Amino acid sequence: MLHRRLYQFFIVYGIGICSLFSIKYILNLSDYVIPSPIEVWLTAVDVFMRYSVNVLDTLSVAIIGHVLSIFMAIVVGIIARLTTGIGTLIKIAAFNIQAYPIVAVAPIIFILLGDGLASRLLIASMICYFPLLLSILGILTQPVSDIEHFFQMTGRMTWQLEVKIRIFENISKLIMVITGSATLAMVGTIVAEFIAANAGIGYTIRIALYQSDLAKILVALFIIGISTSIYLVCLEWMGHMLQKKWEG
Amino acid sequence: MKNFLKKLIPLAMVVFMVIAISSCGQKNGSSSVDPINYRLKWLFNISSAGDLWADVNGHFQRQGLTVNIKPGGPERDAIRELELGRAHFGVASADQVIRAVSKGSPVVVLVQLFQINPLQWIYRPQHVTIESPEDLTSKNIGITFGGNDETIMRALLSKYQIGENEVNFFSVRYDYTPFYKGDVDLWPIYRNAQAVIIGKRLQEANDPIAFFDPHSAGIRFVANSVVTTQKMLKDHPETVKKFTQALVSAWIEAMDPTNTEKVIEAVHHFDPDTSPEIIVEQLKITRDLTIPFGDFEKGGQFFGKIDLAAWKETENMMLNQQLIHAPVNIEQYLNVWD
Repeated sequence: MLHRRLYQFFIVYGIGICSLFSIKYILNLSDYVIPSPIEVWLTAVDVFMRYSVNVLDTLSVAIIGHVLSIFMAIVVGIIARLTTGIGTLIKIAAFNIQAYPIVAVAPIIFILLGDGLASRLLIASMICYFPLLLSILGILTQPVSDIEHFFQMTGRMTWQLEVKIRIFENISKLIMVITGSATLAMVGTIVAEFIAANAGIGYTIRIALYQSDLAKILVALFIIGISTSIYLVCLEWMGHMLQKKWEG
Repeated sequence: MKNFLKKLIPLAMVVFMVIAISSCGQKNGSSSVDPINYRLKWLFNISSAGDLWADVNGHFQRQGLTVNIKPGGPERDAIRELELGRAHFGVASADQVIRAVSKGSPVVVLVQLFQINPLQWIYRPQHVTIESPEDLTSKNIGITFGGNDETIMRALLSKYQIGENEVNFFSVRYDYTPFYKGDVDLWPIYRNAQAVIIGKRLQEANDPIAFFDPHSAGIRFVANSVVTTQKMLKDHPETVKKFTQALVSAWIEAMDPTNTEKVIEAVHHFDPDTSPEIIVEQLKITRDLTIPFGDFEKGGQFFGKIDLAAWKETENMMLNQQLIHAPVNIEQYLNVWD
């Protein structure tokens, strides 16, 4: 599973970087616009370790933010599956808040919480939370009629049982949604660091941009891609194990 | 599946390249340059007063040129746009120019807009006393890591033999809260732009402000200049000359105190979020930074002068801080007009 993910990433990254180099040489652009392959290599040798540590810092915040989002989305999703006023309100709020561009809201968060861990965590959570919540809502509000009908008729249906049935019946979909939202958590953390934090790979990319150093950015993107691929594989593996356990 | 991938990968590369290449404009000098695209360094504000004045008062039209002035921004890089053929002229800071030259970019400097770098550090004299650079010792100094304020501050500390471990650097971003709260003693600011706005706010709160100016401490780091490509200069020398003349004459007019009211109106039209009361203050300071040669009557004609010594000093600072790996002989890229 891991090697397939990495292989896919290397293909995408390779296509991207080869195309960039082709454009550079076709249009005869200087190293200022697009760095040469040698410059990218030398930069990679120079900054790889330091950037890897920065990416791990970002990834750790993204993972914590992702876990918080999953937890919150499941709790809120369970409440919002009710066809009561609260349920409807939560659904409408989720749709509306998701429509706000986080880049516009982020500076306010940084003013309130400063540029430390809390802001990065909150923004990472916000970016992956709302899409996650909407997907989980979709799963939890969809009755599994043929199974639920039996428990309803026999008067043994409880809300816990209802949630369990719906999760069990949609476990593959749920794992896919959670895995997919992991990339959003990573993106959210990088966006937060890019805007105002003082740590992580987003902050490092910001500095490289100030220095107009595209080679550093290409190296950062490579490490981000590998790390995200590994995280996605871990999630898929955990989902696979969970599924196997549940299905006996 | 493997066969499919083998076909898909080259196809994806070709599609990507076709899109990218077609989105690049015509390379400068390949044919006519009408209309001319002029990319500024920052959003429309007082630092582009002369550029906007040229547009409003038909300076380019009188030279037979059609010019689109495009605002810059944090992610815009005029030099890259010149190379990609999306712009014919642009505004870039000296550190951008020197970095670009060090990486083989065929850029030429035409006009130096600011004779004194507007980048200074704001502080509160009630909390901090800065009478000489030595007073920076043990202060919390805001810098943008990777920005030119970092280069200037490090050069200043080095010049006055203040160890970097004797000051505390604070990473600065968009939010001024750490300065307002007093967590940071000195905050980097553009003297002719945000400084007027922030200063007014603090003075209204009875909190006096002062500025630490690296230029007066002997650090000459060149700020914004107008640039083009060597190819543009070679293939269209007349266009370059006309553009430069139009721009310089417009800047001189815009800095002329007799035109103050009309300039404020022009800048406010493009920058409606800044009030005319603020712009009038900004304009005074901009005049002092662009024409610091005594009064306007005597000094106006020297607007745009390329300060060769300051450019060399800027190059040396960048070299000493290893922001470039070898000398670039920047004087070869400065186009000094008669």
